[in-house]
Amino acid sequence: MRLGRSRAVVLLWLALVTASAWAQGPAPGPHNAITDVPGISVGHFTGGDAGTTVVLAMSPTGQGVGGGVTQRGGSPGTRETDLMRPDNLVEAMNAIVLSGGSAYGLAAASGVMRCLEDRGIGFPVGGGNVVPIVPAAVSFDRATCGRPAASRPDFTAGLQACVAASSGAVEQGSVGAGTGAVSGGVKGGIGSASVVLPNGIIVGALVSVNSEGTAYDDDGELRAASLELGHEFSALTKAGGHRHRVPPSLPGGPLRSGTNAVVATNVQLTKSQATKIAEMADDGISRAISPAHTAGDGDTLFVLGTAQLAMATLGDDNAVVTQIGTAAANAVSRAIVHALLSAKSSSCQPSYCDAFPSACRNRR
Amino acid sequence: MRLHTALAALFALLTVAPVTIAQTLPQTPGPKNAITDVPGIEVGHYTATNGAGGMTGTTAIIVRGGATAGVTQRGGAPGTRETDLLRSEKAVGTAHAVVLSGGSAYGLAAADGVTTCLEGQGIGMPVANGAIVPIVPSAILFDPGRCAPFNFRPDASFGMSACRAATNGPVQMGNVGAGAGARSGGNKGGIGTASAVLPNGVVVGAIVAVNSAGRTFDATTGDFFAGYTQAGSDAAVRTAQATPEADREELLRATTIAVVATNARLTKAQANKMAQMADDGLARAIRPAHGIGDGDTVFALATGTVTAAPNITQIGGAAADALSRAIIRALLAADGIHTGTCNVSSYCELFPQRCSR
Repeated sequence: MRLGRSRAVVLLWLALVTASAWAQGPAPGPHNAITDVPGISVGHFTGGDAGTTVVLAMSPTGQGVGGGVTQRGGSPGTRETDLMRPDNLVEAMNAIVLSGGSAYGLAAASGVMRCLEDRGIGFPVGGGNVVPIVPAAVSFDRATCGRPAASRPDFTAGLQACVAASSGAVEQGSVGAGTGAVSGGVKGGIGSASVVLPNGIIVGALVSVNSEGTAYDDDGELRAASLELGHEFSALTKAGGHRHRVPPSLPGGPLRSGTNAVVATNVQLTKSQATKIAEMADDGISRAISPAHTAGDGDTLFVLGTAQLAMATLGDDNAVVTQIGTAAANAVSRAIVHALLSAKSSSCQPSYCDAFPSACRNRR
Repeated sequence: MRLHTALAALFALLTVAPVTIAQTLPQTPGPKNAITDVPGIEVGHYTATNGAGGMTGTTAIIVRGGATAGVTQRGGAPGTRETDLLRSEKAVGTAHAVVLSGGSAYGLAAADGVTTCLEGQGIGMPVANGAIVPIVPSAILFDPGRCAPFNFRPDASFGMSACRAATNGPVQMGNVGAGAGARSGGNKGGIGTASAVLPNGVVVGAIVAVNSAGRTFDATTGDFFAGYTQAGSDAAVRTAQATPEADREELLRATTIAVVATNARLTKAQANKMAQMADDGLARAIRPAHGIGDGDTVFALATGTVTAAPNITQIGGAAADALSRAIIRALLAADGIHTGTCNVSSYCELFPQRCSR
């Protein structure tokens, strides 16, 4: 590969920055995914036009984990979000389901419940019986070229996503809940990211980007590109202003879109703390997508704390919550960039890289 | 000038302040004394029994033309879906059905069956690309494992069957649908419904599945806590004494879920207000209510055929009393179960003189 001198200098500089970041600052975990948080595993089910993604969570003692939610989009489709309010009884979540299929896709959560019940995972209700706690959020699949979706996630989709879950690398792009996703005028999808903080806190995010607004500005630049950690966006360059036509965005409307997300951390969280972190993490959607939280967006964001680290060992509760919330917002923004860079063009929506090839000209 | 302003203010107060706020009891029920007295509201039950005293089921409240909907969720252990969408600031204001179901969180699957059923009938909200999405909020109660294996519970097929059984006729009460396996303060709970026709033609109805940790009546006298809503109630005749303390219900083992409906035209915010006020009817009829192990959730539906400006305080107050009455009627309609080792007494077995069925 021939490199121009200036480009070589830039690469050297990037390498140095990366190395110094590893040495002293926050850096992505080994998978740069939500699965870098111990206790988290992710499974996708990918159907023809739509799919389901499940995030399973387990504490070191094999229990569910503290969780919170924020729901700011105007067209939500949700399950068990009332239960997650801090004033309500159940403290431990077992899984979060993100799904396509609009309200029909809520059925996938029932499949995940069956999968977990078979493993004895859930809220104990006596007699050895459990009720798995599986909150869920859905969105409408729009990557169908104006046709009705030929398939949508059901009970079986949730069951299969749960069975497929692993703690390894997370497949991104047009998979799982992101299968039918569109972001503005380009193909949306699943993205994930993580960060390891110097004090041992790990924060990961998984986002299904299906937004009415765009993740790129009028010049085609990705709004959250500056939040890159290390070299994670693989030599993303300038989109080049108006040399490329910005693809027209799909029209918005009630129940049309929704960017749903899960944030996880290895810290033990109460429901109140998780709810606060959810509110801060949601800013990551606001920064990466504009407009966000529209009347037609479902935008729901969940937080899970897998309790590997006790809050008390890390310092003042509020300071730690702020630290996690700050890192989570950035991880959500970065995951949205990963989603757009990973998605492949479909028949009616170009990928970001096909719409703005000059931005991706140096990417592998 | 000042006097003029004061007089104008007084006049405005006199004309605006509705004199009809005070609720008159007893309420005047509609012909069916059921939520189906509200035009456009249909109810369908599906009930499963296992032959050993175990019962569970699903109740679907269908409104084919769609209704403006609201919700309040005050119990500490809820199992719900689509309640976020019902908040006043969200874009979608219409619901096509509300599903009440047994089965704890597993029973949320019944709403999937109702959603599919309505889609098959072309009922739903048009979205895009030719798709329609029925809006089907739902809440569940805890009944698994009562005289039955733990996995004896509603699934999507229960919702489909309840949806297909829906009619605007009389509504069966007692051990049916979502109330089939329900218990209330150690006695048999169940489904109850009631309606009230207000002087201005507004109709209010309620349907409830009573599965409460708290009691609905004085254990010694049999007096219902909300007995004041009943017309000409008989003097208490003590014939038996209920167990002084309710069975110690475990966590998640309770939940009273309800739907109130009206033919008034309400905004979504007003529908949410109606649900909040109706919830007071639950609080008056059940003690304690909204406990940490209760999932108590109340939905409100407004079909909007009466277009006059609504008096939301009157409607909410009437919905509260109708809900109290529906809770009493649920207890009166419930049958005791005495099958082998499965034993739960009904109110009417404890206080037969107070039951004219």
